Amino acid sequence: MSQRTERRGIHVDQSDLLCKKGCGYYGNAAWQGLCSKCWREEYQRVRQKQIQDDWALAEKLQREEEAAYASSHGAQTQSHPQSSAPQPHPGHASMGPFSKFEEKKTNEKTRKVTTVKKFFSPSSRTAPKKETQEGKTPSPSISRHASFETDQVTKDFVDFLKNLQKPGREIHKQCRAFIVNMSSKKDLSADELSECVQDFYQNMADRLMSHFKGSSESVEQVMDQVEKYIMTRLYKSVFCPETTDDEKKDLATQKRIRALHWVTIQMLCVSMDEEIPEVSENVVKAITDVIEMDSKRVPRDKLRCITSCSKHIFSAIRITKNEPASADDFLPALIYIVLKANPPRLQSNIQYITRFCNPSRLMTGEDGYYFTNLCCAAAFIEKLDAQSLNLSPEEFERYMSGQASPRFNSSEVDWSQTGPAPPVTNPVLAQLNHNLELLSGLSSRQETLMEAAQSLQADLLSWPEGVQREVNNILEKYPLEILPREVSAIDANNMDNDNLPPPLTPQVFAG
Amino acid sequence: MGDDHQQVPGGAQLHRNTLSRPVRTFRVKMVLLGSSGVGKSSLALRFVKDEFRNTSPTVGCAYLTRVVHLNHATLRFEIWDTAGQEKYHSVTPLYYRGAHAALLVYDISKRETFIRAQVWLKELQTHYIPGSTVIWLVGNKGDLEEVRQVSAQEGQNLADEKGLLFTETSALSGEQISELLLDVAHRVYECIGAQQGGLSEWQETPFVHMHHRNTSNPLASCCKVGP
Repeated sequence: MSQRTERRGIHVDQSDLLCKKGCGYYGNAAWQGLCSKCWREEYQRVRQKQIQDDWALAEKLQREEEAAYASSHGAQTQSHPQSSAPQPHPGHASMGPFSKFEEKKTNEKTRKVTTVKKFFSPSSRTAPKKETQEGKTPSPSISRHASFETDQVTKDFVDFLKNLQKPGREIHKQCRAFIVNMSSKKDLSADELSECVQDFYQNMADRLMSHFKGSSESVEQVMDQVEKYIMTRLYKSVFCPETTDDEKKDLATQKRIRALHWVTIQMLCVSMDEEIPEVSENVVKAITDVIEMDSKRVPRDKLRCITSCSKHIFSAIRITKNEPASADDFLPALIYIVLKANPPRLQSNIQYITRFCNPSRLMTGEDGYYFTNLCCAAAFIEKLDAQSLNLSPEEFERYMSGQASPRFNSSEVDWSQTGPAPPVTNPVLAQLNHNLELLSGLSSRQETLMEAAQSLQADLLSWPEGVQREVNNILEKYPLEILPREVSAIDANNMDNDNLPPPLTPQVFAG
Repeated sequence: MGDDHQQVPGGAQLHRNTLSRPVRTFRVKMVLLGSSGVGKSSLALRFVKDEFRNTSPTVGCAYLTRVVHLNHATLRFEIWDTAGQEKYHSVTPLYYRGAHAALLVYDISKRETFIRAQVWLKELQTHYIPGSTVIWLVGNKGDLEEVRQVSAQEGQNLADEKGLLFTETSALSGEQISELLLDVAHRVYECIGAQQGGLSEWQETPFVHMHHRNTSNPLASCCKVGP
């Protein structure tokens, strides 16, 4: 306050109060010493400049970015069919060199292409034409990717049928008619859809059988292609259809497997030793295969994934046990793999395969055997209880509710019931457990060290006391007696003088 | 202990050129049921032993195939091993769906496996219309005569009572194994092959062809083939 008044005193000069621009009006410190009018002008000017600078910078950045996109664009166009699926925004990354206007235009074009495609979808004759269009518009969304796959299958199918000449055309016509027919039956139940497809297979097989005069090999070959073509086309509408509760079951199974995350390899009595690198490699491959099943569209391809998964499991058991794996080993191992993998849409996939695969493949044959095992595994996981893991019901409940975990065996979990040692499922966990052991060893050593330090401290504290006490004791025992000291002046009281020889007296010698 | 079962045709001759004849091949699904440890897998391995001699070592013996030649047809056996542990019992029906033959295996030295076999039998019979599946009771581990707990007569009685066929085998020594497979093959062909569409045809792939030519197995010869 006092300062202000002081300043006021100083600023009393008129010229200081006026606008710095010299317009004659009074200025204001808040406006940097300008009057309101000049301040406004000045402010506008600065802002304008700022905006212009910003624009310039933005433009520069944009140019740089575009240049970067353009250079990466070349690489992208080459690999677009593979890299396209996960692009969330169609035609953004690959759109680099185009202006916004062009992007919009292409989007419209894309939309048009899909509608055109829908219109012609049952016809395969347009396939090659679409192929070229696909190349021109590098803006694939997920649906476009799917239709690309469909086109590819259509093309393959047509190529395959060309070898058969006239009957090939007949087969193609029937398949197309069937697909068109099926698309009008969307509201049928899943079982009815399955029946339609199976009937179609049966009719087709019968007709082929009479055409090829009983050569079942050729019939099988053609039927495989027919299945591939039809199921790729129908996949979207018949996989996990809305009329069923497949999706609910999928979610239930998924939740169930998640809740069972604590199940160890020992509880299932699986004879796979994951500490052997080769075994754990096979286990990982098996898990990958069973997960991959969901990405396939044709039932047979899905079956192949299951078979491949099973083969890896067999290898893993074979390496561990050094003898061929029997079903007694295989089924628990498969259950373990399914629990570890938690395959997406497991129930839907099983249902889809059951409904739309050639039935002879499911009941018999190697693929059928492994598929049956997978069904068993899924059924077992659904019903899994304490008894099937050799646990007591209380333990099972504890693990399910997450109150306890068999992996971190605390002292209150009694391992006498489940096993002698904490189960070690994989090398990483083994390492973890090892580290935990080391840590707990260290902490116990630390504790003893701390104890020793504390006792040392106590000792140190008591030591001076003890010394004090001792000193006191000694002092008590031998009290200090201060005897009056006789100050003996050398020349005072020469009491002993008598004993001393007489002082030498100087003698004069005459001499 | 196989004296009571001498059905193998005496005039069996070895012939290697079966495949040159236009004989239809049928696929037969055979399921092995029984408690864990009764020797199902060993039995399965025995069934196919000759065929596997020339191929790379098998990694698993849960699913195996074996071709058996009969007079008028060739049967391609697909042998499905099942998990015998009791906890998997509830899912076993999935395995024997569509099976043409089921071997119900028990261990003659363990009575409880015999009792479990009867439980399985009950289930099998509730699931199957008689005639669509050939069910065979098999007492395995015939080599363990000294610790036998289930007599051959008991097995035979059960089989008679339930209308099954019965054999005692030893997967260890191989006794009665090939005979059993042949008997099953005959039985399956008679009972099911005769029905229209009872068995589906199997187109032999070149792989099987090659295989078969290289091995001269005595089983291929159960039935005499006249020129």
